[in-house]
Amino acid sequence: MTEVMAPMDGKILHVKAKVGERVQEDQTVAVMEAMKMEIQIVAPVAGTVVEIRVEPGQAVDPDTIVAVIQ
Amino acid sequence: MNDLGFGLALLVVGMGGTLLSLWILSLLVLLLKRFFPYEEVKKADGPSH
Amino acid sequence: MNEALWAGFEGLLLGVSHLTLGHLVMLVIGGLLLYLGIRHGFEPLLLVPIGFGAILVNIPLAGLMEKGGILRTFYDAGVLTEIFPLLIFVGIGAMTDFTPLLENPKILLLGAAGQFGIFSTLLLALALGFTRPESVSIGIIGACDGPTAIYVTSRFAPHLLGAVSVAAYSYMSLVPLIQPPIMKLLTTEREKNVVMAPVRKSVSGRTKILFPIVATVLTSIIAPLGTPLMGMIMLGNLLKESGVVARLKQASEQEIANVVTLLLGLSIGATMQAERFLKIETLLIMVLGLVAIALDTVMGLLFGKLMCLATRGKINPLIGAAGISAFPMAARVAQTEGQRYNKKNYLLMHAMGANTGGQIGSVMAAAIMLSVLRGLGIG
Repeated sequence: MTEVMAPMDGKILHVKAKVGERVQEDQTVAVMEAMKMEIQIVAPVAGTVVEIRVEPGQAVDPDTIVAVIQ
Repeated sequence: MNDLGFGLALLVVGMGGTLLSLWILSLLVLLLKRFFPYEEVKKADGPSH
Repeated sequence: MNEALWAGFEGLLLGVSHLTLGHLVMLVIGGLLLYLGIRHGFEPLLLVPIGFGAILVNIPLAGLMEKGGILRTFYDAGVLTEIFPLLIFVGIGAMTDFTPLLENPKILLLGAAGQFGIFSTLLLALALGFTRPESVSIGIIGACDGPTAIYVTSRFAPHLLGAVSVAAYSYMSLVPLIQPPIMKLLTTEREKNVVMAPVRKSVSGRTKILFPIVATVLTSIIAPLGTPLMGMIMLGNLLKESGVVARLKQASEQEIANVVTLLLGLSIGATMQAERFLKIETLLIMVLGLVAIALDTVMGLLFGKLMCLATRGKINPLIGAAGISAFPMAARVAQTEGQRYNKKNYLLMHAMGANTGGQIGSVMAAAIMLSVLRGLGIG
């Protein structure tokens, strides 16, 4: 189980990965906005997405879990 | 004083002065942070570290 | 009757008959600035008024820059008195969030390193035969900060205002093109891949309020001649962080900044009269400006490498490039480049810290320069 954390304070713009989807390492899981810039949140490891914990528009900080990958 | 001496003097004093004053400022900020530490605001959800 | 008709007609031809090649070239340059601002979005808030100002002032006989002319009135009231750049600074302070810098104050040093271009370019300008006050004004392009460059230039070499400001603002918008090759060249594969831990909240509200006050007092005591610059930017920041003067904060960052930007841009454009601007010096200044920003980036990166070494690999040297003041472009470049080399690298907040450090650094460098020059008997 690996948690994908939000890298910084900001807001989720859209979620790219779906629950059950297989993702590669470095594949974009979600896109967030911080300081008026779009940031790709990538998967730290390859695996299957078992949970998505954010939705578009949600405010996040470095303690927010974006998704869980197995 | 020739132009080279003038320019070099500015380079050394200017760059040195800028580095030194910002270093002192960074120390003052560290002091400020020590005297007025951050207090965790209670969040509605999400685990805290 | 016939003669009166003819004389009246001649009056209509005066504009055309006084039009010189220089005027025409400047009209084209004014148009080019408008094109860059409107079509390519290069600092449009400044390049549009500057470009149009340049067009207005190169219409023969219009006299907008003569005594009593409207642009001359703006120029005398706001640029010669240094009021316009200082008012812009209040707005910048009100817009700037220094939190990422306060989270990791050591990063301020990157903001100091990013000012190297100012002083090294000054040396180059001297070598090329510019006078000392002129060289100071050319070097200050390396501050990567429009108002600072205008403030210093209006004091030392007002005849170069047009060239210096155009160079400063055009290169600031070109930072995303200028920096990446230098960043690639100067960092090793390993350094590019350094992942920095996320920035955690560690700054209290009191620290944020006290910072602008402490910074003003400290830097002003070190370099009193820079007090107007640092004082205004920090006043703006205090308006923001105090949280009790929302109206003043909003006025500073919106209404006042907007009005002053318009008048400042027009006034700068108005200094671009053909006979003053169309000189070989202008071309040299454009080249030196580019050199200044490149050298800023180089030194920021080198200092970043040093900090990487000193912290045993906790700092990614790429954020050193954001130590130049160009805000927030330089920080965004660091984020983009960082993630290009390592997808798991999120440098934005660290780079924002270095970038706001660069803003303070550029003001501090200008302040120190003013004081040192006073010591050397200039200004």
